[in-house]
Amino acid sequence: MSVNEKFSAIRKGLLEFLVLQIIAAEKVYAADILKQLSTTEFATQEGTLYPLLSRLRREGLLDYEWKESEAGPPRKYYELTAKGKEQLRETLEYWSQINGTVKKLGQK
Amino acid sequence: MNKVITINLGGNAYQLEEGGYDALRAYLETATARLQGNPDRDEILSDIEGAIAEKFRTRLASHKTVVETKEVVAVLAEMGPIEAEPGEATHAGAAPAGISGGTTGQEAKGEEQSAGTGRTPKRLYRIQEGAMIAGVCNGIAAYVNIDPTLVRLAFVLLTLLWGSGLVVYVVMAIVVPEARSPEEKAAASGFPATAQEYIRRAKAGYYEAMKGFPDRKARREWRRRFKRDMRAHADQWRYNWHCYWTEHAPVYPGMGFMLPVLSILHGAAMVFWICALISLLATGALFGLILPAKVPVWIAALLLLIAYGILVGPLKVARRLCYRSLGRPRWTWSFVFLLDAIVWLAVVATLLWLAVHFFPDMRAAVQSIPALAHQAADDIRTWWNSR
Repeated sequence: MSVNEKFSAIRKGLLEFLVLQIIAAEKVYAADILKQLSTTEFATQEGTLYPLLSRLRREGLLDYEWKESEAGPPRKYYELTAKGKEQLRETLEYWSQINGTVKKLGQK
Repeated sequence: MNKVITINLGGNAYQLEEGGYDALRAYLETATARLQGNPDRDEILSDIEGAIAEKFRTRLASHKTVVETKEVVAVLAEMGPIEAEPGEATHAGAAPAGISGGTTGQEAKGEEQSAGTGRTPKRLYRIQEGAMIAGVCNGIAAYVNIDPTLVRLAFVLLTLLWGSGLVVYVVMAIVVPEARSPEEKAAASGFPATAQEYIRRAKAGYYEAMKGFPDRKARREWRRRFKRDMRAHADQWRYNWHCYWTEHAPVYPGMGFMLPVLSILHGAAMVFWICALISLLATGALFGLILPAKVPVWIAALLLLIAYGILVGPLKVARRLCYRSLGRPRWTWSFVFLLDAIVWLAVVATLLWLAVHFFPDMRAAVQSIPALAHQAADDIRTWWNSR
């Protein structure tokens, strides 16, 4: 089992927070999110992203508004709610803790 | 040479090769099955459809209007299989992954029909979106599929006449449950939620977007485009419905001979309606029948219009069925249609002529039309000058 495969479950779990982080930076629509992820290890597809976005919205972490686009029908632009921002902050904190643990353990 | 199928994705029409259509349908069916139990299922599906539409758009140009099968398959592969979110009840035994493009033709047709007729069971709910008070009228309107304004008018009228409208309204506001979940909202109108929800959300988005535009020009442009899109969507809907009932309504041979009779009835109804309207507007009474003092003339006129619509609706449907019963070669239709239209016009003209000649009231009313028009024009002019 390659490292890549071993980490698939972890990547999947982290995706949610990366999506929150992307949305925290600016208002984006789904294709923007996919594009930003596409060059990373977390590249994903609409089939995964849309159900995820809808769950995050239902949990009250993000919200969307309709905006018109130059070509085609209006798009949903997502942004974080206060709850989403708080959750992201907590997650980042926890993540740096984990990171520290990973680095620290085993060093003598 | 490949057959092309036109579909509606997020309010725009796309033409797909038949194989591509099958693949897309299989994909969306799988998606629907996998999202079973997800409260946002319809919203996710409409997002997915929108994303697919966007990908199709980038593959089309002015000289290329049809999405080929291999392009559809490529787009669906880009989309990736729909993944149910953890912690949400997934439908047991959901169909296997992604693109299973090869449903056989016959099977697919059968499924399609059941999908087309697959209406959610109807229930009466109150609907808060766009409600005036408690959404009672809105709910009734959705239930019987008419304009909520008409239901509201009926309630107002009932209240004015006997005061009963108010009582009924209050009771219903208490007794009838409110539609909260998307499923309940779908059940309120009996339509699958997607289309309804699409329209509602599109409208919400419309007003939201209106606020965001800086100048009038951009706003006007947006309004124009929005209206065009909505119209296209409504047309598609109507077309689908039309196709549905022409496919399913019973047709008996020989119905074609009923056509002249129906045309005469239709014409007579129209003449009666015109006479009633003229008599109402000219004398303020319906053929000498004086309206209750509290009912303004315009409400009576509106009620007349509604009554006419109700009366003539079945006639129109029956006439169209008659055309169909005349059989396959469609060029005969246009001939019959012409003949029918002539019969209809003749009936209307004759009856109108008779009415004007034999009813003194009608004659007086018709003769007073030019004077009334002058009067109205004068009124408008004085009002304009007085500003």
